[in-house]
Amino acid sequence: MKWLQRHVRPEQVRELSLLLLIIVAVVFFGSMIDGYYTSRTFNRIVSSVAIITIVAVGQTLVVLTRNIDLSVGSVVGCTAYFVGTLLGRYHDLNPLLAVLTAVALGAALGAINGLLVAWGRIPSIIVTLGTLAIYRGILVDLSGARTVTTDSLPGWLVGLPRLNLMSIGGLDLPALFMLAVAIVLIFHLGTGYLAVGRRFYAIGSNPDAAALIGLPIRRLVFLAFVLSGALAGLAGFVTLARYGNITVESGRGLELAAVAAVVVGGVNIFGGSGTVLGAMLGAIMIGTLEQSLYRLQISEFWRDAILGLLILLAVASDAVILQRLRALWGRADLKIVTEPPAEATVAAGARSP
Amino acid sequence: MTEPALARTKGAEQFGSSSAAASGQSGDRILETRSISKHFDATQALQDISFSLYPGEVHALLGENGAGKSTLIKIITGVLQPDGGEILLAGTPVVIRSAAEAQRLGIAAIYQEPLLFPDLSVAENIFVSHQGRGQVVGWRQMSQDAEAILAQLGVAIDVRSPARGLTLAAQQSVEIAKAISLNVRVLIMDEPTASLSAHEVAQLFGLVRDLRGQGVSILFVSHRIEEVFEIADKVTVFRDGRLISTRLRSETSPQRSISDMVGREMGLLKPRPRAAIGELLLSVRGLGRESVFEEVTFDLHRGEVLGFGGLIGAGRTDIGLALFGIEPATSGTIALDGKEITVRSPREGMDLGIAYVSEDRRQLGLSLPMSITANITLPMLHKYLDRFGLIRRGLETETAEAYRKRLSIRTSSVDLAVAKLSGGNQQKVMLSKWLNTKPSVLILDEPTRGIDVGAKAEVHAIIAELAATGIGIILISSDLPEVLAMSDRVLVMREGRQMAIFSREEATQERVMTAAMGQVSAPIGEVAA
Repeated sequence: MKWLQRHVRPEQVRELSLLLLIIVAVVFFGSMIDGYYTSRTFNRIVSSVAIITIVAVGQTLVVLTRNIDLSVGSVVGCTAYFVGTLLGRYHDLNPLLAVLTAVALGAALGAINGLLVAWGRIPSIIVTLGTLAIYRGILVDLSGARTVTTDSLPGWLVGLPRLNLMSIGGLDLPALFMLAVAIVLIFHLGTGYLAVGRRFYAIGSNPDAAALIGLPIRRLVFLAFVLSGALAGLAGFVTLARYGNITVESGRGLELAAVAAVVVGGVNIFGGSGTVLGAMLGAIMIGTLEQSLYRLQISEFWRDAILGLLILLAVASDAVILQRLRALWGRADLKIVTEPPAEATVAAGARSP
Repeated sequence: MTEPALARTKGAEQFGSSSAAASGQSGDRILETRSISKHFDATQALQDISFSLYPGEVHALLGENGAGKSTLIKIITGVLQPDGGEILLAGTPVVIRSAAEAQRLGIAAIYQEPLLFPDLSVAENIFVSHQGRGQVVGWRQMSQDAEAILAQLGVAIDVRSPARGLTLAAQQSVEIAKAISLNVRVLIMDEPTASLSAHEVAQLFGLVRDLRGQGVSILFVSHRIEEVFEIADKVTVFRDGRLISTRLRSETSPQRSISDMVGREMGLLKPRPRAAIGELLLSVRGLGRESVFEEVTFDLHRGEVLGFGGLIGAGRTDIGLALFGIEPATSGTIALDGKEITVRSPREGMDLGIAYVSEDRRQLGLSLPMSITANITLPMLHKYLDRFGLIRRGLETETAEAYRKRLSIRTSSVDLAVAKLSGGNQQKVMLSKWLNTKPSVLILDEPTRGIDVGAKAEVHAIIAELAATGIGIILISSDLPEVLAMSDRVLVMREGRQMAIFSREEATQERVMTAAMGQVSAPIGEVAA
């Protein structure tokens, strides 16, 4: 316990226990479902996790600043449909350009959210609830309820989900999943080592104090929404590649999965604490649950209900468990602190650092 | 619903128009506290308070901020529970568990900012706390009753209009009407005049005298000493959680009350050793911010500690906010090192070498879930980036460790979340954060509030050390002994106005408090050094 307290922060305990919970869930479903431990199950889960993860990373940035982005599902739907239509029409479009188009469209939709929240001073939950419906509405109207079909798409895109970068012990790691992992790594390090990441945390943990030191709060909140939109755009592209068939319903409900992943992953819904890595673990948990419940032939409404329950449990346990852990750790710190400090008196004349 | 209002007027006859002079006997006390005590953590907020209130008297409570008046009021109104002692209402011991229970017992309170429901009508506001009168609202009856009460008070307000938009004075009247409708026997008025104009104060006092005439007992808290001596029959002075004196108005004077208020122990406080004061650093002339403070003029020199004395709400913090650019001044000039400057944002203030350490550690100062290191480097994060724009964690830790040593921040690690530190150590982290901006002018707002005695002494030593390095320090503090012990000169504010600047020799507790409470006494120090 002492070793644990010295080397692991309470926030990390949460992430470790989530890892444990994922293993428990896998073992549980393994005993419930015949042929669960196959590469097919693994591939299904992994490609589902990829989409949720990418969206959850963006959501994490927004939630860190004490906001929320509910429009991500609609942004995913819009970009998947738009880029799918584009590729259906221009088969020889450069793949990189197609990805960039998806990201740019997502960023633009995110920018609208950001503008309204940061400068319109409208609470983010209202703004993104509105754009959730508006973006979807525009999609339905522009598409005329037509569907993008797999056979209209260029071959490289259709083959993308089966492209594996590497395989470990017979389990293939598809390129799309590795893309999600790369995104997680980039943003995990970015939030930890870039000034802008530190400032996201600062805004979320104490907006007043952030204003007091002159942080450009509006610009930073705007940036968080643009990044969330851009990542949702990327997720839209992954969705297009994975499913091929894109209806106007595509991406619907993804906001629930993304928020669940973030919250289950230990990001404080009131901002200021949590990590991108935690959000990824949350996404793995959610993806595992979704796919396994699907295999158990539980209706998607029940799956959503279970996600909802998970969000409630995560937030409630966040309040209770983390408090306990912090108290436990706090006592440990106290023991260390009560040892007489080396410089008990003010070091008069000490040089300024 | 006319019942309570009528009962009030009938009941009043029983008491007659007894005045304070007539309330000498011990039998007819309406409210009595016996040996009430209360502590919060380590601070003894109230100690052995035995206090009596008689029918039909206006009894004023005086004391510095934190002397214990508010705690006593909260206990009487059921907001707080005492640790020991008992409360008697008309001779019967009572336990008051909530504000609602206090109201049922006939005790109501009115605060500086009336707590009305802005969207409900005046009549609804008056009767809002009447419960158990059936589920159907009798609008006509209610309006008539409300009108009757307001007429009794001699106030003309349309009872059907919403409370939103009423003047503050009218809102106070509605609060009083509410209290009357509750058949109140004890009315507590906590700084009711603080936001009222002279004319409105006169009206309010008229109401207070009427209520007194009807036998209502009024507990009147105000920092305006001339008002206290205009309206009160008795004056009780609190200091450091103790009841110092209760005197009839006719037997005391403003000067005597102030002496009672300020006779505080210097305790462990030693005056800061006199240090060399350098050249002129900051020169403020006629500084003002509309309807907040005005005509503030002072000089600050290198190595000087300029204390800002006065009561909470006198505008001292607002001057700090203006100098740092959070709420920029609207008039007057600021010159730094002889050059005139304008400060429109905290960023500009920081770039000019001004730092403001907020009075509110939790709200405005620190990002509690973040580490000590992250808090300290946050304002200067742009100085901690390598050429790729990545944060240099090593350099950050170096800085944090240096401050941990210099200010002896007690923690197992600088990576610990600030939330886990004690108040005193949090205060040191906050000081580190602002010292790291390398300020030449350091504004400290209540730097020792809510921290223990040991940490307080350390913060004082830090202030002395900082001044010795040539930083000009503005020390805003409501702790009078602290201001006197630490400051080279003391500027006193009262209600947004600069009352005086005292030199170290002139500044005594009584002089500063007298200026802070509006009684001008000679000699007043020069306006600028």
